[in-house]
Amino acid sequence: MTAILMALDSIKEKKGRSFLTMLGIIIGVCAVLVLVAMVTGYNSDITSYYEKLGVNKVEISIDYYLSSRSPDVTDELYEYGNVDMSDIVTGVTPDLSTTGTVIYKDDNLDTTIYLGSDQFSTCNNYTLAKGRDISQADIEGRTKVCLLGTYVAETLFGQKSPVGETVQINGASYTVVGTYYQKDGTAEDSMDDMVVIPYSLNREVLGSSVISSYIVKVDTSNDMDAAIEELTTWFADEIDEYTGEVTLENGNSDLTSSTEETASLSAILGGIAGIALLVGGIGIMNIMLVTVTERTREIGIKKAIGAPRSEIVTQFLVESAILSAMGGIIGILLGFALSLIMGKILYDLILFPSTAITIAGFLFSIAIGIGFGLYPAVKASGLQPVDALRAD
Amino acid sequence: MSLIKIENVFKIYGDEGCENEVRALDGVSLEIDYGEFVAIIGSSGSGKSTMMNMLGCLDVPTRGEYYLDGIPIRERTERELSDIRSRRIGFIFQGYNLIPSLTVWQNVALPMTYQKVNPGDRYQRAIEALEKVDIASKAENRPTQLSGGQQQRVAIARAIATKSPIIMADEPTGALDSKTGVQVLGILRQLNEEGTTIILITHDNGIAAQAKRVIRVQDGRIISDSAPGDDPFIMSQTKKEVASAVGDGTTPSGALRVENGRAAWAGARAGGLTQ
Repeated sequence: MTAILMALDSIKEKKGRSFLTMLGIIIGVCAVLVLVAMVTGYNSDITSYYEKLGVNKVEISIDYYLSSRSPDVTDELYEYGNVDMSDIVTGVTPDLSTTGTVIYKDDNLDTTIYLGSDQFSTCNNYTLAKGRDISQADIEGRTKVCLLGTYVAETLFGQKSPVGETVQINGASYTVVGTYYQKDGTAEDSMDDMVVIPYSLNREVLGSSVISSYIVKVDTSNDMDAAIEELTTWFADEIDEYTGEVTLENGNSDLTSSTEETASLSAILGGIAGIALLVGGIGIMNIMLVTVTERTREIGIKKAIGAPRSEIVTQFLVESAILSAMGGIIGILLGFALSLIMGKILYDLILFPSTAITIAGFLFSIAIGIGFGLYPAVKASGLQPVDALRAD
Repeated sequence: MSLIKIENVFKIYGDEGCENEVRALDGVSLEIDYGEFVAIIGSSGSGKSTMMNMLGCLDVPTRGEYYLDGIPIRERTERELSDIRSRRIGFIFQGYNLIPSLTVWQNVALPMTYQKVNPGDRYQRAIEALEKVDIASKAENRPTQLSGGQQQRVAIARAIATKSPIIMADEPTGALDSKTGVQVLGILRQLNEEGTTIILITHDNGIAAQAKRVIRVQDGRIISDSAPGDDPFIMSQTKKEVASAVGDGTTPSGALRVENGRAAWAGARAGGLTQ
């Protein structure tokens, strides 16, 4: 207790120097916190992007060797997914798209046209806001209906409901039967900048009846491997080695690999910031050595009146620990402030450094204070009282 | 058993046998008993300070034995030596050696923290010690706000607060004016009368004359060890001073007294008098 008060006194006495000493630790801790928070922000940015895109998707693409010998397996796959695999599959849709111009009265807009099944929205994480989704009947009857993403709906219709209105898509008239909820900020080129029509219009819209990519939406990520295995077996029966080559991809793997990337990025940045902390620690050691020299006489007096070595060691260790702990606390506060500001600017997120990193940063800064304070403290305590007293 | 016994102690700086060899203590033997008031006198460089450092366990002899309470110091661990300095010996230094960042009472209480005295008692005991040297009113001040004499009293309070049986004073009046010096010596004498062993280091015959025993050191050796009345230098100087005072008509502010058959110079260096 006395040691803490004395250390605080001595730090107070030399405010400027103490602050400069702490600066290394402040910058180090702040850097660790901010960098890790930024990586977390980047990570959650990526994750939320993939989540909007829709997770747990098996992406299937078929490379048919001859366009003339390309069996359409859409109906079979749809049935297999929804009947045989219904315990783990929640949706099947062809994965087809093109660009097109949508015209409503005098307004027109270039956007992405998706051709999907009635399970398109399930597979791609869209939620119906108004009207109805594409139906089986639309697909069978090749009905010219469409659903609009929020960007298209708002650009062409403003506040008015588009349901029931007629738009021109690439020159043909479509009835708008529904709209989706916003999921990506209702901006140009966002996931809300889109239109969906029944996939059976593919020959008319795409000029080809060959469907070679599908999305199968699986219930949970745990079922992904089982689903891929089962689908691989099924495709092997449907499409033989002379017809084409089927590739099945785990849609989550992009997310996984990007998460892994950010984890290693986090480690690298954390390591660099850790070096800053270490340099800060050396600064503390340096200043503590100066302090020992300055206080040699005081050490001599204390030893002469009976202070044991441990007392002297404690005094200097406590001082360096407090110095670095104060640096740690200031660094943490600064780190929080910077994370908030940068998180807002870079990712539009309210970003705080994680509790674990904050605690670790604080403990690490104290450990550095003690670690680097040890040498000066031991040096001080080892002084012979008579030599120490002789110092000026 | 003596309180302090040193046997053939050497303290040698530099390399022994080489040109740079300095024998600060050159085979000193000495015994000091409980309750003595000893002055160790010598000129600068005579080895008297080295002797005090040795006796105060602040330094270790190059050769020779030092027994404190009959136990050889050589066998003590560093921790035990700290404990001895804390419990057995109170130091008073010429330069006071107070810690400027602590208040007066905290300075006095500091040795008690090393003795693990209950924090509640430390303040009380510090104040008691300060009262004894008549400086309790400055308890909350910093040492730098005090005059030299006041600081030395604080240092004495620090030495006596722990109730150490031995007080070692290294030129305690060296930085003080003669009046304050007399007061400080008075305090030491009083402590001695209460049973504390006092070891006083000085270069001043007048101050040494206050002790009951004078040990004269020169070139690292003891050249005389006697009562002040029998010390050749003190006797001759006293005579000279009296003669000079009578001769030039000035009266020394101190007075030559005869106490128990010994001459004692009650006032330190009086105006116009030199050693």
